[in-house]
Amino acid sequence: MAEKVETMVPGNVWKVLVNPGDKVSAGDTLFILEVMKTEVPHMAGEGGTVKAVHIKEGQEGVDAGLVAVEIG
Amino acid sequence: MFEVITPGLETTIQDYPGRIGFWNQGFPPSGPMDSWSFRLGNLLVGNDAGAAGLEAQYIGPTVKFQRDGVIAVTGADMQAKLDGQPLPMWESVAVKAGQTLAMTASKVGARGYIAFAGGIDTPPWLGSRSTFHQAGVGGMEGHALKKGQVIPVAKAKGTPGKKAKPDCRPVISTDKSWTIEVVPGPNDDWIDEAGHKRFLSTDWKLSAKNARTGFRLDGPDWTFTEKATKKAPENGSEPSNIIDQGYPMGAINLSGQTPIILVNDGPSMGGFINPYTVPSATFWKLGQSKPGDIYRFKSVTVDEAQALRKKLNAVCSPSSII
Repeated sequence: MAEKVETMVPGNVWKVLVNPGDKVSAGDTLFILEVMKTEVPHMAGEGGTVKAVHIKEGQEGVDAGLVAVEIG
Repeated sequence: MFEVITPGLETTIQDYPGRIGFWNQGFPPSGPMDSWSFRLGNLLVGNDAGAAGLEAQYIGPTVKFQRDGVIAVTGADMQAKLDGQPLPMWESVAVKAGQTLAMTASKVGARGYIAFAGGIDTPPWLGSRSTFHQAGVGGMEGHALKKGQVIPVAKAKGTPGKKAKPDCRPVISTDKSWTIEVVPGPNDDWIDEAGHKRFLSTDWKLSAKNARTGFRLDGPDWTFTEKATKKAPENGSEPSNIIDQGYPMGAINLSGQTPIILVNDGPSMGGFINPYTVPSATFWKLGQSKPGDIYRFKSVTVDEAQALRKKLNAVCSPSSII
């Protein structure tokens, strides 16, 4: 099963914790956005291998609903 | 009463108009940022327009009802579902004990509101139930909702099936652009003519560093009159420094070269100039905008700002409910 993890909120990319090729389990934190000076962690819904990461640490003003990490 | 299953990003108890009368001692009014959606929610469930309800920011909460009641969801669309079924917004809905209301990330707008027939019944502090988390007062233990908390709601009947007339609801921008009214002053004479023209003709971008304290804007540098550049040293070294003064709510506060709109939980005083002020009737637009959204400012007179407020108050009345 492939999963596309989308940004839940608009904001800045605070931390990206995975790279393509990493193995992840369901519930692992993939990346953390910052909005309203609050950290918003984004988790994997299911386990697999990270196929692609479309955001960068420090990136500003990302939209909500953007595909950030693809898991295959 | 309801139990907090997940709190959302930062969900707080607010009432309207909030904690009024303590600005001179540094306490901001707090209250809902989009008081238009908030007040309509209360009117839908048969409450006074100002009764305490929930303000959810960006990601809504999931709550489980412990008693039958009537609720209404307004403001940003956080795709509310009641026991898995989509819940209509801008409408009063009956809920049963044991049912779960689940909300997710907002697709349109930034702040969603949940009104409960009877109103949330936490202890008021200085006359208001509004949460001001920086001082840890109001709301539920002074802070945003936490998982597992049980929130008291006063008993009241409420009628399901009431709707807010479509033309009486706020229209939340879907193209990221907003026209924000501003009244010049109190320190407009510190900005030169080119600076005023630039401010009113620039597409200002809302930064991700915005919260209920202030809304930081990205845009060009400001230019100043001699009032700012040739002043007594006690004003401070930056052109935007001034001897400490009181700030109006909605002040566009110029911190160095960065404008920050001071909103519901903002500071009451400080040493920066405020060249413009956003009138209260426009606050709902700030409350529903997201980082990356574009503001274009439109200068209005005090009379026009007051007319906007009267118009908004007229819409936030039982005549908007059918």
